[in-house]
Amino acid sequence: MIQHIDDHIPSFDDATHEREWLAQERAMQRERLQLDPAGDDARSRRYRLLARTLREPLPDALPADFARQVAARVAAAPTRQVTPGGRFESALLLALGGALVLAAGIVTVIYGRTWLQPFGELLPAFPASTLGWLLALGGCLAASWLLGHWQPAPRTTATPS
Amino acid sequence: MDDIRSSHDRELVDAVLADRPGAFERLVREHQGLCWHIILRMVRNPEDARELCQDTFLRVHQCLHQYRHESALKSWIGRVAYTIALRHLEHRRIPIVDNGGDGEASPLENVGDGFDLEAACADEETHRHLHEAIAQLPPLQRTLLTLYYLEEATIPEIARITGLANGTIKSHLFRSRLRLRGALEPRTGVAA
Repeated sequence: MIQHIDDHIPSFDDATHEREWLAQERAMQRERLQLDPAGDDARSRRYRLLARTLREPLPDALPADFARQVAARVAAAPTRQVTPGGRFESALLLALGGALVLAAGIVTVIYGRTWLQPFGELLPAFPASTLGWLLALGGCLAASWLLGHWQPAPRTTATPS
Repeated sequence: MDDIRSSHDRELVDAVLADRPGAFERLVREHQGLCWHIILRMVRNPEDARELCQDTFLRVHQCLHQYRHESALKSWIGRVAYTIALRHLEHRRIPIVDNGGDGEASPLENVGDGFDLEAACADEETHRHLHEAIAQLPPLQRTLLTLYYLEEATIPEIARITGLANGTIKSHLFRSRLRLRGALEPRTGVAA
Protein backbone atom coordinates (compact mmCIF):
# COMPACT_ATOMS: atom_id res chain seq x y z
CA MET A 1 0.00 0.00 0.00
CA ILE A 2 1.36 3.43 -0.94
CA GLN A 3 1.39 5.86 1.96
CA HIS A 4 -0.70 9.02 1.73
CA ILE A 5 0.36 10.56 5.00
CA ASP A 6 1.01 14.26 5.47
CA ASP A 7 0.28 15.30 1.87
CA HIS A 8 -0.95 18.70 3.06
CA ILE A 9 1.13 21.63 1.80
CA PRO A 10 0.88 24.61 4.16
CA SER A 11 0.27 28.16 2.87
CA PHE A 12 2.73 30.98 3.52
CA ASP A 13 1.84 33.27 6.43
CA ASP A 14 2.66 36.27 4.22
CA ALA A 15 -0.11 36.86 1.64
CA THR A 16 2.35 38.46 -0.82
CA HIS A 17 4.52 35.34 -0.74
CA GLU A 18 1.50 33.09 -1.25
CA ARG A 19 0.41 35.16 -4.29
CA GLU A 20 3.91 34.95 -5.76
CA TRP A 21 3.95 31.18 -5.10
CA LEU A 22 0.65 30.78 -6.95
CA ALA A 23 2.05 32.80 -9.87
CA GLN A 24 5.08 30.47 -9.97
CA GLU A 25 2.84 27.41 -9.94
CA ARG A 26 0.52 28.78 -12.62
CA ALA A 27 3.43 29.59 -14.92
CA MET A 28 4.89 26.10 -14.42
CA GLN A 29 1.55 24.50 -15.33
CA ARG A 30 1.10 26.76 -18.36
CA GLU A 31 4.58 25.89 -19.61
CA ARG A 32 4.01 22.17 -18.96
CA LEU A 33 0.81 22.33 -21.02
CA GLN A 34 2.58 24.50 -23.62
CA LEU A 35 -0.18 27.12 -23.57
CA ASP A 36 0.16 30.26 -25.67
CA PRO A 37 2.24 32.86 -23.72
CA ALA A 38 0.53 35.76 -25.50
CA GLY A 39 -1.78 36.55 -22.56
CA ASP A 40 0.93 36.14 -19.86
CA ASP A 41 2.33 39.12 -17.97
CA ALA A 42 6.07 39.83 -17.70
CA ARG A 43 6.42 37.97 -14.38
CA SER A 44 4.69 34.87 -15.72
CA ARG A 45 6.87 34.89 -18.84
CA ARG A 46 10.02 34.93 -16.74
CA TYR A 47 8.77 31.99 -14.68
CA ARG A 48 7.87 30.17 -17.89
CA LEU A 49 11.38 30.67 -19.25
CA LEU A 50 12.69 29.31 -15.96
CA ALA A 51 10.36 26.28 -16.25
CA ARG A 52 11.48 25.66 -19.83
CA THR A 53 15.14 25.76 -18.82
CA LEU A 54 14.66 23.50 -15.78
CA ARG A 55 12.84 20.92 -17.90
CA GLU A 56 15.77 20.57 -20.30
CA PRO A 57 17.71 17.29 -20.00
CA LEU A 58 20.94 17.57 -18.00
CA PRO A 59 24.07 17.98 -20.15
CA ASP A 60 25.80 14.83 -18.84
CA ALA A 61 24.34 11.33 -18.83
CA LEU A 62 25.07 7.86 -17.54
CA PRO A 63 26.69 5.40 -19.99
CA ALA A 64 24.16 3.63 -22.22
CA ASP A 65 25.05 0.23 -20.73
CA PHE A 66 25.03 1.44 -17.10
CA ALA A 67 22.23 -0.93 -15.99
CA ARG A 68 23.96 -3.94 -17.56
CA GLN A 69 27.28 -3.02 -15.93
CA VAL A 70 25.74 -2.69 -12.45
CA ALA A 71 23.76 -5.93 -12.85
CA ALA A 72 26.93 -7.75 -13.93
CA ARG A 73 28.82 -6.40 -10.93
CA VAL A 74 26.08 -7.57 -8.59
CA ALA A 75 25.93 -11.00 -10.25
CA ALA A 76 29.69 -11.41 -9.76
CA ALA A 77 29.26 -11.02 -5.98
CA PRO A 78 25.89 -12.52 -5.01
CA THR A 79 26.06 -11.72 -1.31
CA ARG A 80 22.78 -10.00 -0.58
CA GLN A 81 21.95 -11.64 2.72
CA VAL A 82 24.92 -13.73 3.82
CA THR A 83 27.90 -11.40 4.11
CA PRO A 84 31.47 -12.75 4.36
CA GLY A 85 31.66 -11.28 7.87
CA GLY A 86 28.47 -13.12 8.85
CA ARG A 87 29.83 -16.41 7.51
CA PHE A 88 33.05 -15.98 9.52
CA GLU A 89 31.07 -15.26 12.68
CA SER A 90 28.95 -18.41 12.21
CA ALA A 91 32.05 -20.56 11.74
CA LEU A 92 33.68 -19.05 14.82
CA LEU A 93 30.53 -19.62 16.88
CA LEU A 94 30.35 -23.24 15.75
CA ALA A 95 34.01 -23.83 16.63
CA LEU A 96 33.59 -22.27 20.09
CA GLY A 97 30.42 -24.30 20.74
CA GLY A 98 32.22 -27.51 19.74
CA ALA A 99 35.17 -26.73 22.04
CA LEU A 100 32.77 -26.02 24.91
CA VAL A 101 30.89 -29.32 24.44
CA LEU A 102 34.20 -31.22 24.26
CA ALA A 103 35.50 -29.58 27.45
CA ALA A 104 32.21 -30.31 29.26
CA GLY A 105 32.44 -33.98 28.20
CA ILE A 106 36.02 -34.32 29.47
CA VAL A 107 35.19 -32.67 32.82
CA THR A 108 32.12 -34.92 33.22
CA VAL A 109 34.18 -38.06 32.57
CA ILE A 110 36.80 -37.00 35.15
CA TYR A 111 34.53 -35.68 37.94
CA GLY A 112 31.10 -37.16 37.04
CA ARG A 113 31.23 -40.05 39.55
CA THR A 114 32.08 -37.67 42.45
CA TRP A 115 29.17 -35.34 41.52
CA LEU A 116 26.56 -38.07 41.11
CA GLN A 117 27.17 -39.63 44.54
CA PRO A 118 25.60 -36.80 46.67
CA PHE A 119 22.63 -36.52 44.25
CA GLY A 120 22.00 -40.24 44.50
CA GLU A 121 21.84 -40.00 48.29
CA LEU A 122 19.28 -37.14 48.08
CA LEU A 123 16.87 -39.04 45.80
CA PRO A 124 14.10 -41.02 47.57
CA ALA A 125 14.17 -44.76 47.05
CA PHE A 126 11.67 -45.34 44.19
CA PRO A 127 10.56 -48.77 43.14
CA ALA A 128 12.16 -49.91 39.87
CA SER A 129 8.90 -49.50 37.82
CA THR A 130 8.38 -45.83 38.96
CA LEU A 131 11.96 -44.98 38.07
CA GLY A 132 11.41 -46.39 34.59
CA TRP A 133 8.30 -44.21 34.02
CA LEU A 134 10.14 -41.12 35.27
CA LEU A 135 12.99 -41.80 32.84
CA ALA A 136 10.49 -42.24 29.99
CA LEU A 137 8.79 -38.93 30.86
CA GLY A 138 12.16 -37.14 30.96
CA GLY A 139 13.05 -38.66 27.58
CA CYS A 140 9.77 -37.44 26.06
CA LEU A 141 10.32 -33.91 27.36
CA ALA A 142 13.89 -33.85 26.07
CA ALA A 143 12.79 -35.15 22.65
CA SER A 144 10.04 -32.46 22.36
CA TRP A 145 12.49 -29.73 23.30
CA LEU A 146 15.05 -30.92 20.75
CA LEU A 147 12.44 -31.20 17.97
CA GLY A 148 11.26 -27.67 18.74
CA HIS A 149 14.79 -26.40 18.26
CA TRP A 150 15.44 -28.36 15.05
CA GLN A 151 12.37 -27.08 13.22
CA PRO A 152 13.29 -24.64 10.40
CA ALA A 153 13.19 -20.98 11.51
CA PRO A 154 10.55 -18.71 9.82
CA ARG A 155 11.76 -16.50 6.90
CA THR A 156 13.09 -13.21 8.14
CA THR A 157 13.48 -11.55 4.76
CA ALA A 158 10.86 -8.98 3.72
CA THR A 159 7.73 -10.43 2.25
CA PRO A 160 5.17 -8.18 0.58
CA SER A 161 2.68 -7.15 3.26
CA MET B 1 -2.68 4.83 -10.69
CA ASP B 2 -0.98 4.19 -7.35
CA ASP B 3 -2.35 0.64 -7.30
CA ILE B 4 -0.95 -0.09 -10.76
CA ARG B 5 2.44 1.28 -9.74
CA SER B 6 2.28 -0.58 -6.44
CA SER B 7 1.62 -3.92 -8.12
CA HIS B 8 4.37 -3.24 -10.67
CA ASP B 9 6.80 -2.40 -7.85
CA ARG B 10 5.81 -5.55 -5.97
CA GLU B 11 6.33 -7.73 -9.01
CA LEU B 12 9.72 -6.17 -9.75
CA VAL B 13 10.95 -6.41 -6.15
CA ASP B 14 9.83 -10.06 -5.88
CA ALA B 15 11.64 -10.86 -9.13
CA VAL B 16 14.88 -9.25 -7.90
CA LEU B 17 14.67 -10.99 -4.51
CA ALA B 18 14.11 -14.30 -6.30
CA ASP B 19 17.24 -13.59 -8.41
CA ARG B 20 15.29 -13.91 -11.67
CA PRO B 21 17.52 -13.29 -14.71
CA GLY B 22 17.39 -9.68 -15.92
CA ALA B 23 15.22 -8.45 -13.04
CA PHE B 24 17.84 -6.30 -11.34
CA GLU B 25 18.98 -4.84 -14.66
CA ARG B 26 15.35 -3.87 -15.31
CA LEU B 27 15.11 -2.22 -11.90
CA VAL B 28 18.29 -0.21 -12.56
CA ARG B 29 17.11 0.84 -16.02
CA GLU B 30 13.76 2.03 -14.67
CA HIS B 31 15.24 4.15 -11.88
CA GLN B 32 18.69 5.23 -13.09
CA GLY B 33 17.34 8.51 -14.53
CA LEU B 34 15.94 9.62 -11.16
CA CYS B 35 19.14 8.67 -9.31
CA TRP B 36 21.27 10.44 -11.89
CA HIS B 37 19.23 13.64 -11.63
CA ILE B 38 19.38 13.64 -7.82
CA ILE B 39 23.06 12.81 -7.54
CA LEU B 40 24.35 15.00 -10.38
CA ARG B 41 22.40 17.99 -9.10
CA MET B 42 23.74 17.41 -5.60
CA VAL B 43 27.43 16.78 -6.34
CA ARG B 44 27.76 18.47 -9.79
CA ASN B 45 30.87 16.50 -10.78
CA PRO B 46 29.83 13.90 -13.43
CA GLU B 47 32.64 11.47 -12.53
CA ASP B 48 31.68 11.47 -8.84
CA ALA B 49 28.01 11.27 -9.78
CA ARG B 50 28.57 8.13 -11.90
CA GLU B 51 30.41 6.43 -9.07
CA LEU B 52 27.77 7.41 -6.52
CA CYS B 53 25.02 6.19 -8.84
CA GLN B 54 26.70 2.80 -8.97
CA ASP B 55 27.05 2.79 -5.16
CA THR B 56 23.35 3.63 -4.92
CA PHE B 57 22.27 0.58 -6.90
CA LEU B 58 24.70 -1.71 -5.08
CA ARG B 59 23.15 -0.48 -1.83
CA VAL B 60 19.65 -0.97 -3.26
CA HIS B 61 20.51 -4.56 -4.18
CA GLN B 62 21.94 -5.21 -0.72
CA CYS B 63 18.99 -3.71 1.17
CA LEU B 64 16.02 -4.47 -1.09
CA HIS B 65 14.77 -7.17 1.32
CA GLN B 66 14.19 -4.33 3.82
CA TYR B 67 11.81 -2.48 1.45
CA ARG B 68 8.32 -2.72 2.99
CA HIS B 69 6.19 -1.19 0.17
CA GLU B 70 5.23 1.70 2.49
CA SER B 71 6.13 4.21 -0.23
CA ALA B 72 6.61 3.88 -4.01
CA LEU B 73 9.77 2.02 -5.01
CA LYS B 74 10.81 5.16 -6.91
CA SER B 75 10.75 7.20 -3.67
CA TRP B 76 12.61 4.50 -1.74
CA ILE B 77 15.39 4.30 -4.36
CA GLY B 78 15.46 8.10 -4.66
CA ARG B 79 15.92 8.27 -0.89
CA VAL B 80 18.93 5.92 -1.10
CA ALA B 81 20.45 8.09 -3.87
CA TYR B 82 19.80 11.29 -1.94
CA THR B 83 21.33 9.88 1.26
CA ILE B 84 24.45 8.70 -0.58
CA ALA B 85 24.91 12.09 -2.27
CA LEU B 86 24.30 13.88 1.03
CA ARG B 87 26.99 11.81 2.79
CA HIS B 88 29.39 12.54 -0.05
CA LEU B 89 28.86 16.29 0.38
CA GLU B 90 29.10 16.06 4.18
CA HIS B 91 32.35 14.12 3.84
CA ARG B 92 33.72 16.93 1.66
CA ARG B 93 32.29 19.58 4.01
CA ILE B 94 30.19 21.13 1.24
CA PRO B 95 27.09 22.87 2.66
CA ILE B 96 23.85 21.81 0.98
CA VAL B 97 21.88 24.94 1.86
CA ASP B 98 22.66 28.62 1.86
CA ASN B 99 22.70 29.52 5.55
CA GLY B 100 23.63 33.16 5.13
CA GLY B 101 20.58 34.12 3.04
CA ASP B 102 20.64 35.13 -0.60
CA GLY B 103 22.19 38.53 -0.04
CA GLU B 104 20.11 39.84 -2.91
CA ALA B 105 17.28 42.31 -3.02
CA SER B 106 13.93 40.53 -3.30
CA PRO B 107 12.54 40.83 -6.83
CA LEU B 108 9.01 40.42 -5.45
CA GLU B 109 8.03 43.99 -6.21
CA ASN B 110 10.49 44.58 -9.05
CA VAL B 111 8.91 43.16 -12.14
CA GLY B 112 10.35 44.68 -15.28
CA ASP B 113 7.99 45.08 -18.24
CA GLY B 114 8.22 43.98 -21.83
CA PHE B 115 9.77 40.54 -21.37
CA ASP B 116 9.61 38.60 -24.64
CA LEU B 117 9.61 34.88 -23.79
CA GLU B 118 10.39 33.54 -27.26
CA ALA B 119 13.15 36.11 -27.84
CA ALA B 120 14.66 35.29 -24.42
CA CYS B 121 14.63 31.56 -25.25
CA ALA B 122 16.39 32.21 -28.51
CA ASP B 123 18.90 34.52 -26.86
CA GLU B 124 22.02 32.46 -26.21
CA GLU B 125 23.31 34.82 -23.56
CA THR B 126 20.10 34.81 -21.50
CA HIS B 127 20.05 31.01 -21.71
CA ARG B 128 23.65 30.73 -20.53
CA HIS B 129 23.06 33.28 -17.79
CA LEU B 130 20.08 31.33 -16.46
CA HIS B 131 22.03 28.05 -16.47
CA GLU B 132 24.81 29.76 -14.53
CA ALA B 133 22.31 31.08 -12.01
CA ILE B 134 20.88 27.56 -11.56
CA ALA B 135 24.40 26.14 -11.12
CA GLN B 136 25.12 28.74 -8.44
CA LEU B 137 22.18 27.64 -6.30
CA PRO B 138 23.03 25.52 -3.23
CA PRO B 139 22.97 21.72 -3.90
CA LEU B 140 19.67 21.13 -2.10
CA GLN B 141 17.80 23.86 -4.00
CA ARG B 142 19.20 22.66 -7.36
CA THR B 143 18.06 19.14 -6.56
CA LEU B 144 14.58 20.18 -5.42
CA LEU B 145 14.03 22.21 -8.60
CA THR B 146 15.16 19.31 -10.77
CA LEU B 147 12.86 16.87 -8.99
CA TYR B 148 9.95 19.30 -9.28
CA TYR B 149 10.41 20.32 -12.91
CA LEU B 150 12.35 17.59 -14.70
CA GLU B 151 11.08 14.55 -12.78
CA GLU B 152 7.67 16.17 -12.28
CA ALA B 153 7.62 14.85 -8.70
CA THR B 154 5.02 16.32 -6.35
CA ILE B 155 6.04 18.03 -3.09
CA PRO B 156 4.94 15.00 -0.97
CA GLU B 157 6.97 12.70 -3.25
CA ILE B 158 10.00 14.96 -2.84
CA ALA B 159 9.39 14.88 0.92
CA ARG B 160 9.63 11.08 0.87
CA ILE B 161 12.89 11.23 -1.07
CA THR B 162 14.61 13.93 0.97
CA GLY B 163 12.98 13.43 4.37
CA LEU B 164 12.19 17.18 4.50
CA ALA B 165 8.80 18.58 5.52
CA ASN B 166 6.39 19.70 2.78
CA GLY B 167 6.51 23.29 4.04
CA THR B 168 10.32 23.33 3.94
CA ILE B 169 10.36 22.08 0.37
CA LYS B 170 7.75 24.65 -0.66
CA SER B 171 9.82 27.40 0.93
CA HIS B 172 13.02 26.27 -0.84
CA LEU B 173 11.24 26.09 -4.21
CA PHE B 174 9.69 29.50 -3.69
CA ARG B 175 12.98 31.20 -2.78
CA SER B 176 14.95 29.49 -5.56
CA ARG B 177 12.43 30.52 -8.21
CA LEU B 178 12.33 34.04 -6.88
CA ARG B 179 16.12 34.22 -6.98
CA LEU B 180 16.25 32.87 -10.53
CA ARG B 181 13.53 35.27 -11.63
CA GLY B 182 15.70 38.01 -10.16
CA ALA B 183 18.52 36.81 -12.41
CA LEU B 184 16.25 37.41 -15.40
CA GLU B 185 15.38 40.98 -14.49
CA PRO B 186 17.19 43.66 -16.52
CA ARG B 187 20.82 43.67 -15.30
CA THR B 188 20.76 47.40 -14.74
CA GLY B 189 17.81 47.10 -12.35
CA VAL B 190 17.84 46.84 -8.54
CA ALA B 191 17.08 43.13 -8.47
CA ALA B 192 19.61 42.00 -11.09
